[in-house]
Amino acid sequence: MSDLEDLKTRLKIAKSKLQNKNLKKAEKKGVFLGNAFKLGTELVAAVVVGTIIGFILDNWFGTKPILIIVFFLFGAAAGIVNVFKAAKKMQGDGN
Amino acid sequence: MAANPMQQFEVHRIGPEIKISGIDLSFTNSSLFMTISAVLITALLLFGTREKKLVPSKIQLMSEMLYNFIAKMISDTAGKKAKPYFPFIFSLFVFILFCNMIGMLPYSFTVTSHIIVTLTFAIFIFIGVTILGFVIHGFKYLKIFVPSGVPIVLLPIITIIEIISYLSRPVSLSVRLFANMMAGHTMLKVFGGFVISLGLIGGWLPLSFSVALTGLEILVAFLQAYVFAILTCIYLNDALNLHH
Repeated sequence: MSDLEDLKTRLKIAKSKLQNKNLKKAEKKGVFLGNAFKLGTELVAAVVVGTIIGFILDNWFGTKPILIIVFFLFGAAAGIVNVFKAAKKMQGDGN
Repeated sequence: MAANPMQQFEVHRIGPEIKISGIDLSFTNSSLFMTISAVLITALLLFGTREKKLVPSKIQLMSEMLYNFIAKMISDTAGKKAKPYFPFIFSLFVFILFCNMIGMLPYSFTVTSHIIVTLTFAIFIFIGVTILGFVIHGFKYLKIFVPSGVPIVLLPIITIIEIISYLSRPVSLSVRLFANMMAGHTMLKVFGGFVISLGLIGGWLPLSFSVALTGLEILVAFLQAYVFAILTCIYLNDALNLHH
């Protein structure tokens, strides 16, 4: 009888271990794919926002091409900062 | 032309025209599919929690898994402090997920393939999180634009870059969901058109592509809802736990 109980508990432990393993693998896969989708738009969106801000400010101050160029560059920098931040977060999750 | 791949995104009125002070508030196919997803979600959760058995039925299991999934995601990304915002993120995730998945059915309409829908979500989240940050931290919240340890000379430039980076959040959030959904559905329809135009001889190749793409699109539909929700959690985390 005790053998049977022993086997039962061992089976339970093994099953839960296997389940955990499978779950973690699937979860990780999803997380990585999600991250990959995230990075691309992160880079582009900042450039778009920067350019729009430059365009609006140019219209306000009447300095037509200067601010749009400056803010385009700022936007590109912000995009790179975004990607860096996201990468930092991913590394934090990985450890 | 009947095979226009963009025709699926057309919004048209269902029923009578309703205009209140110049704003068109008519019931459209977009509103219809939003209503369908809301009704389906409510039905799933109501039926799932009706009988609380120790050994759950399939539908109870589904709603419990959904709950656990979101609860774990919030505690992993935003910590314990974000627990009060669980209902918001849960509804957001489930609604986007159902809209995306219902859009995968033939003859249906994908609500999230319109930028106006996703941008409205994103701007609400953006404004909400910003207000929350100011309510919790007061004017100290402005510190997120000024990273510590930056030389004074670089500070104005870094601040401008940080502000643009902050303002780009709703744009990237909304464009990601909208672009993924629209591109995927357009591609599906284009390949579907190829099947017809190539006929019995050459149509098999695009048909197999179409099948593979449908699988990919279901994955993307889930993943985009997940990414949307997890980014909301991350923004919430930034507002709740200020650290720089």
